[in-house]
Amino acid sequence: MTLLAMRDVHTFIGQFHILEGVTLDVPEGEIVALLGRNGAGKTTTLKTAMGLTPARSGTITFDGVDISQRRSFDIASMGLGYVPENRAIFADLSVEENLRIAERQKGDFAKKEEFIFDLFPDLKRLIRLPGTNLSGGQQQMLAVARALVPDNRLLLIDEPSEGLAPVIIEHMMEAIRQLSDRSTVLLVEQNFIVASRLAQHYVIVEEGRTVQAGAMADLVDDEEAIKKYLGAA
Amino acid sequence: MSSRTDGGAGRLSQMIQENRTRVTVLAVLLFLFLAAFGGLDREDWFSTIMQGLSVGAITFLVASGLSLIFGLMDVLNLAHGEIFMLGAYFGWTIYTRFDTALDIVIPLLLLAAPFLLMPIWRTMASRVGTTAAVHRAIGWVLLLGGGLVTWLSITRFPLVIWDAKEFAFSPGSYSTQVDLGVLAPLGADSFNGAAVVAVIGLLFGGVILALAVSFFQRTPAEAAVSPRRMGAAAGLVLLAIVLHLTKGSINDWVFGLSTSWRFFLAMAIAVAMGAAVGAFIEVLLIRPLYDRPIYQLMLTLGVGFILIEVVREVWGRPEFTMARPALFNGTGEGCPGQGIGGFFSGCSTVDMFGARLRVYNEGFVFLVGILVLIGVTLLLKRTRIGMIIRAGVQDPDMVEALGINVRRVFTLVFALGSSLAALGGVLAAPSIGLSTGMGALFLLSALIALAIGGLTSFPGAAAGAVLVGLLQQLIIRFGQNGIDLPFLAEPFKPTPTLVPAASVLLMVIVLLLLPAGLFGRSER
Repeated sequence: MTLLAMRDVHTFIGQFHILEGVTLDVPEGEIVALLGRNGAGKTTTLKTAMGLTPARSGTITFDGVDISQRRSFDIASMGLGYVPENRAIFADLSVEENLRIAERQKGDFAKKEEFIFDLFPDLKRLIRLPGTNLSGGQQQMLAVARALVPDNRLLLIDEPSEGLAPVIIEHMMEAIRQLSDRSTVLLVEQNFIVASRLAQHYVIVEEGRTVQAGAMADLVDDEEAIKKYLGAA
Repeated sequence: MSSRTDGGAGRLSQMIQENRTRVTVLAVLLFLFLAAFGGLDREDWFSTIMQGLSVGAITFLVASGLSLIFGLMDVLNLAHGEIFMLGAYFGWTIYTRFDTALDIVIPLLLLAAPFLLMPIWRTMASRVGTTAAVHRAIGWVLLLGGGLVTWLSITRFPLVIWDAKEFAFSPGSYSTQVDLGVLAPLGADSFNGAAVVAVIGLLFGGVILALAVSFFQRTPAEAAVSPRRMGAAAGLVLLAIVLHLTKGSINDWVFGLSTSWRFFLAMAIAVAMGAAVGAFIEVLLIRPLYDRPIYQLMLTLGVGFILIEVVREVWGRPEFTMARPALFNGTGEGCPGQGIGGFFSGCSTVDMFGARLRVYNEGFVFLVGILVLIGVTLLLKRTRIGMIIRAGVQDPDMVEALGINVRRVFTLVFALGSSLAALGGVLAAPSIGLSTGMGALFLLSALIALAIGGLTSFPGAAAGAVLVGLLQQLIIRFGQNGIDLPFLAEPFKPTPTLVPAASVLLMVIVLLLLPAGLFGRSER
């Protein structure tokens, strides 16, 4: 079943036409990698799905409901979690507050605490620290953990491996694999190796348009497409 | 020595290292203030500090809301000073002429009731299927018509009110009557036929105005009117009628209360009205302009001017005083009070460390300032809404993406900030009196305090306000005493015009050294 579907979505940021026809399907329970070069519109695709840069035309449905004209908080409340590229950790809030603020119902955090700290044991140690004191890797873990606090059915994760040390990337990949047992994931990833090992499906965007999509297993063998759209693999 | 304390000392020295400029500026400021106070006699410097803290407390009440609003929404609300002013005038009205306040509330309740049934009007408006231009034209016509009906009905409503042009019935002379304890409710109007017409006219006017607003919005309502809203609208009408019928006895009861209770009542109601005015301004005027900050700035400036004119029209141009509540106004036997306990003696003044302090200004106002500082700090640090506000100051989009309706938080913070300003206004009224210029005066001080403390920092707003308050009172004190400067034969006496100038100078110096202010983060 398709959980998130975008059909010919166009998005403008100010005067700029950023998305010029993005179409994608995210099947429930799977990981879909959104691939493409820098500036292809991957991040804007996630933001548009999230309602942060609303679509000007096209349809976006989540679980069969049209969300293209809804406001961000409304979309999130339907069960979408967003992990932005810049992580957007609240610097003034402690690690615990950064997690608690994501609660949609009282007790969300208590319910997920064990699961979250199993995935990211580091966070438990840092719980009292203000967000501003975390390293890049810790911030990334916190950003993912924050999206796990409420019962989200779909996670939009933007570049989780960016700027992280290889060891931490491994850790993060393992975490994403584990959390994908609970929710569907739409993953933006520059690092093709990471993407190909995690995702079952892929969508490639180029200049704001969907140009190719399919099963990840097929793309791995399609050297021509990798070279054409993603640069050297 | 355990390694733990070493670590603590290390962290402290590291913190000092990182904030070297900040620590230096604070040290120099402290030194200058100490030196300035050193030039005064002991009773003088104590009373100057206390007066500075009192002025600082009121400045803080204005600055704190300004800082919260600016931090969360990036809106520099230039009408904030006028909300402070409105707080004073509202407070004075509740305190001095409760009967008039009641008379004004009744028609407003009737007018507000139809707005609770908004979905009905919106559905009606959306059924009229014409072009956008015709829709807007109908909206304007209805707005004018509704305004006319409302005006005609509201002027027929029995209203007892002061008359600024007649000395005997002017706000100032009513204040004097409160002070003398001879104020009584004005003669009650009988509920005659004209008033019945006025009630129906007001309901009708409210409906037309609500319809007009619906025509501008053009989108059909998302939900039908809930029974609860129905009930609330009916409740408002009923409340208005009940208030009207029982208003004689309500007035007698309120005027029978001691002025202290009336003052607390005035504080509470003025705070609530400040919150309502703030929410109203945010929803109606600020919200459509979040993408256009310059327009917002101009709009709030304009709103400020309009509010000043409204106040001039209703309360008159002349300045007037507000009587101090009895709790802080005792004289005669056993007065002035002595020491800390003297603050609770019911006297108007108290002797402490050889200085004569006013219980209201240096005691009560300062105490309320401290309570608000603690209260808002607890709100920000300990509650979920405070957590959301702190997060929203940094990244409102991310807060929204977590499933939190940030716009509702914006409205709430605007209302909170406005209510603090209104509280400042009521508090200031008995000590500095009421004038239409009071808003601009404290807005300037508050802006300077914010710039000094760091624009979006809440503790910074408090520190900046205290600094500005202390500095102003110091200059005033030196204007009286004179200050011995080297190379000058006569002691130098700063003129009152130097008071605002000195605050600006302090701001310039602090900002040259610390562009982000004392407690501010560097700009994002």
